[in-house]
Amino acid sequence: MGLLWIVEAMLLGCLLVYRFTDLAAAQPSWAGWLLVFGAGAAGGMGLASALFFLLGVVGGIPAAAMMVELAGLAAAAWMVFRGAEKKESPGAARYPMRVTLWLAALSALALATAGMAAAWQWNPQGNWDAWAIWNLRARFLSAGGGLASRAWSPALAGATHTEYPLLVSSFVARCWAYSHALSQAVPAAASYAFFLALIALAAGGLAALRGPALGLSAGLVLLATPALLREVPAQYADVPLACYVAGAVIFALLERPVLAGVFAGLAAWTKDEGLLFLAVFLAVTVLLRRRTWLQTALGALPAAVLALAFKAMLPKGTTSLLSASAGGAGHRVVDFGRAGTILAEFGRQFASMGVQWYHPILPLAALAVALRFDGGRRRDLAFGAAVAGLLLLGESAVYMVTANSLEWQLQTSLGRLLVQVWPVLVVTAVLALRQPERLAVVEVAKTRKKQRG
Amino acid sequence: MKRASVREQVRYPAGVTAGLAAAVVLCLWGAVQSYSTEAAYQQANSDPYMVSMQFQRFAQVPEMVPRDAVMGYLSDAPSGVVDTAMFDSAQYVLAPRILERGAAHDWVLGNFTRPGDFHSVAQANGLRLERDFGNGAILFRREEHR
Repeated sequence: MGLLWIVEAMLLGCLLVYRFTDLAAAQPSWAGWLLVFGAGAAGGMGLASALFFLLGVVGGIPAAAMMVELAGLAAAAWMVFRGAEKKESPGAARYPMRVTLWLAALSALALATAGMAAAWQWNPQGNWDAWAIWNLRARFLSAGGGLASRAWSPALAGATHTEYPLLVSSFVARCWAYSHALSQAVPAAASYAFFLALIALAAGGLAALRGPALGLSAGLVLLATPALLREVPAQYADVPLACYVAGAVIFALLERPVLAGVFAGLAAWTKDEGLLFLAVFLAVTVLLRRRTWLQTALGALPAAVLALAFKAMLPKGTTSLLSASAGGAGHRVVDFGRAGTILAEFGRQFASMGVQWYHPILPLAALAVALRFDGGRRRDLAFGAAVAGLLLLGESAVYMVTANSLEWQLQTSLGRLLVQVWPVLVVTAVLALRQPERLAVVEVAKTRKKQRG
Repeated sequence: MKRASVREQVRYPAGVTAGLAAAVVLCLWGAVQSYSTEAAYQQANSDPYMVSMQFQRFAQVPEMVPRDAVMGYLSDAPSGVVDTAMFDSAQYVLAPRILERGAAHDWVLGNFTRPGDFHSVAQANGLRLERDFGNGAILFRREEHR
């Protein structure tokens, strides 16, 4: 039953996105559907998480959250049904290696899923932080009564990081609470759903922006990124965050600033790094896409306010990494040895994103050599690169000041930070390539046909 | 009568096709490598902290200890990764009960790595042994609750 509640949240999101945005009209039509699925699935899970937290946990009435959600689902379904109109579909887009690209993407998805299935079988509880932090807090949140507040109890502060934002824990708790069962399949499936949404957003978004061949190529590169695939069955918040980060950038590039803001806000409700991303994203939007900054900020507002209010009001007896590192930060910032250690670990972790001789930079390099860069996409390239670059810079600054053991901090977190940023790097790199469809040579052949008459 | 018709043929430069083909082959290679490595790794490192086993070890504790209890926690594990893993996984399994290290609570969970004289452990901490679930999983209770 818990899995059905994941599907319900995704369906609610898809119906809302279909009804209230024009993403379904994106071309080619499959790109529109992928965008509706990606935005709807991730947005729906984020919305359901916030609703459960506000009404079910803070309000103490989980049934109210469920009723509001189901009423929303029924209303959205009715609006979609009423507004349904048959749209003229243009002919199938022509692009190189159409069948090959689709077959490869589906094969890579099947292989990725098979690898994850092994993890689900042998490690159903996920990796350490899943049961020590994210799913533990979900168990408290789903307990009902006054016990939900134990998710941020001072007794758990420290190892359980009660100050971390709650999107993932609250969403898992919602499924457990509504189904009255603590099925271990729920957090695993939720993580997989975010992964699918991420792939759909990257492939669909780039197909709409830069044509089907580049869209499918971007999806394929992500499906063949071992470091990303490893994080899905871990059941951490890094894949959901990667999904929101990539979604925000893609919607900004697609000139959907409100949706971009919504995704940036949901990133802030997912992880502390999401708060940094929100600040970076708004700053880069103000600098490079000034026309849309207000709509973006308004879209981000609800989830960002929720995240900040939670952090300011509820967890007690806990200090953030930054405030705990204030003492002696001045000395650490000017310690160039630390900068060297951080850079070296960046290189090491980047190299280990692959497996054996394979690294996901290789297919990107092959595409770049064959297609070369499109000078006309400088503005979009600057936007994606600025977001990814500033995010990595911000994370490096945190490493510079942290009072924790630098080696321990780097080894336990840097690989996952790269996973959060990698989809934006892939989208930005592929976006900047020349469109294969535009390099086509059209040959016109005249043939004579015999006609009776 | 004969009529001329025009047919468009779209051709892509060899470099474009080769580049896309190379990317496809590389990605499929990566996907296969990733799958085989991951499947082998997961099988070889099945549940390294034995979290699933804790659900069995402590299966009867939730039936005996109220959901809103704050429980004490005693263990013989040397401090380090093993001790932390044992504590965190027990906390995960027994939530929404909260575990706090020490014996200063009515209910105290014993999580031991070796067989031992758990009655003596109980006496030394002003507790009595409420139930021995076997395999080092013990439930103690404060004496005045007898």
